[in-house]
Amino acid sequence: MRASHSERSAPMEAEARTVVGWQGVRCVLPADWNVSGFSMDRDNGYLRVDAPGTGSLVVQVRWWNVARSRPRTLYDLAAAVVRRWSRRPEPPVIAPDLRANLDNLLKETARKSRRSHTDFRADIKPERSEGERTAINFTWVGNGRGQGKIWYCATCHRVLIAQVVGAPQEAGAIGAVASQLMGSLRCHGESGYDLWALYDLQIQIPEDFRLDTQKLLSGYLHLEFARGGERIFLDRWGLANLTLKRFTCDEWLRNHAAVNLSRYTRTLRDDLNGHEIAYYEGVLAPAGKLRAFYEARGSLRRFPDAYAGGIWNCDVSNRIYAIQAFLRACDLDVWKGSVQRCVCH
Amino acid sequence: MRLPLKMWLYCRAGRWLPFLRIRPPEIDRSAVFVLRPGRNSLLKWEKRPSGDVLLTVPQNERAGFVTRTLARWMNVPPERYVELDEVGGFVWELCDGNHTIDAIVQKTSRQFKMNRREAEVSVTMFLQMLHERNFIGFYRKVKKA
Repeated sequence: MRASHSERSAPMEAEARTVVGWQGVRCVLPADWNVSGFSMDRDNGYLRVDAPGTGSLVVQVRWWNVARSRPRTLYDLAAAVVRRWSRRPEPPVIAPDLRANLDNLLKETARKSRRSHTDFRADIKPERSEGERTAINFTWVGNGRGQGKIWYCATCHRVLIAQVVGAPQEAGAIGAVASQLMGSLRCHGESGYDLWALYDLQIQIPEDFRLDTQKLLSGYLHLEFARGGERIFLDRWGLANLTLKRFTCDEWLRNHAAVNLSRYTRTLRDDLNGHEIAYYEGVLAPAGKLRAFYEARGSLRRFPDAYAGGIWNCDVSNRIYAIQAFLRACDLDVWKGSVQRCVCH
Repeated sequence: MRLPLKMWLYCRAGRWLPFLRIRPPEIDRSAVFVLRPGRNSLLKWEKRPSGDVLLTVPQNERAGFVTRTLARWMNVPPERYVELDEVGGFVWELCDGNHTIDAIVQKTSRQFKMNRREAEVSVTMFLQMLHERNFIGFYRKVKKA
């Protein structure tokens, strides 16, 4: 499935909103809000998005997976191993106590308020069911002001706490952002794809790929996803007009490719996302296999034997995009699917 | 601009005598964004048709007699040249004392289709580098009483 219409049209309405997606969590926020903090862990992580310029509003999202909680005792550890070995089904997941989790969060916030000698008040709404979720809305006022929601999703077994935090006098702005956030916040991907969206980039990657490495520099983004030995590399360079004065797209990819591209067949494709993509494909050469083996840290699970890579220049956003993948030959459609789901402008 | 005593102490002593533990005062982000960078009037600059900017930096302008004599004796060129690329040149042109840092960030992000955050990081780092080399100074607009 391609990205939904609402998400694809997001950059067109750049004045109005920003789409943020990280580790399966996604939301829509006002324009120019940007990710300023995140964790690499999918099962237990956080995301922080800041208002632009001198604004003091912050969106904080924290989540943890109840089904994949860490084994606490040796018995838990041994039971998990035996279960996997004997291929027994996982035990049913017990829904967590949301109120207790929320109380912990508020207790922590109250402690911070007390430290700054400010009164703390919290208003917690009753628990309610919203389809697959059980949720509690809350607001608090202390040394700051916050409005948020905690929920448990029966589909992905995640507990997610999201809140908009700002100064006490910013109640109106907090409310406006919170309503936009809560209306759009999702805790898992659709159709088996996770949305990864930050700094005007939007791409959907199969959800069994895990984020392995990231480099978020000014003018250059690099995300690397792994599934066993299979890898997807996404690179995005800004200021394409300056780069393309000296190099062609092909030369640029050749300089930055994960493999020696002279061994692979080159074709031009314009059937994937409306741009002309210089596409390279072929069976991995021995050196490429060695590189893949090194990248997979010696794991032979899903060991790749093919390479697919493509580069294109998006004039509208003035950026160069390159998506490369080490995949099994039977999985090459993953590359195509990711390129189709990449929104560059 | 007259520096507060604490800042003056940091500039003079704190940098070289760390055991004094004189830290520079924390500056609010919003206070930084309203500063107006202005070019050093000793520098000459020209814009090329490609968009690049060539800065001509006088070398021995403020040097003392001994340094000037030594420089002349050792054939040190009186000027050095710094070339700024298209983005750098664009920012340099905006450093006229009228534009705030916030305005420069906005204009750069619009001109080069950069994300606001990306533009903010690049422009502030670039301005910091220019300031360290004494190519620019920062002004603050003060309301008249």
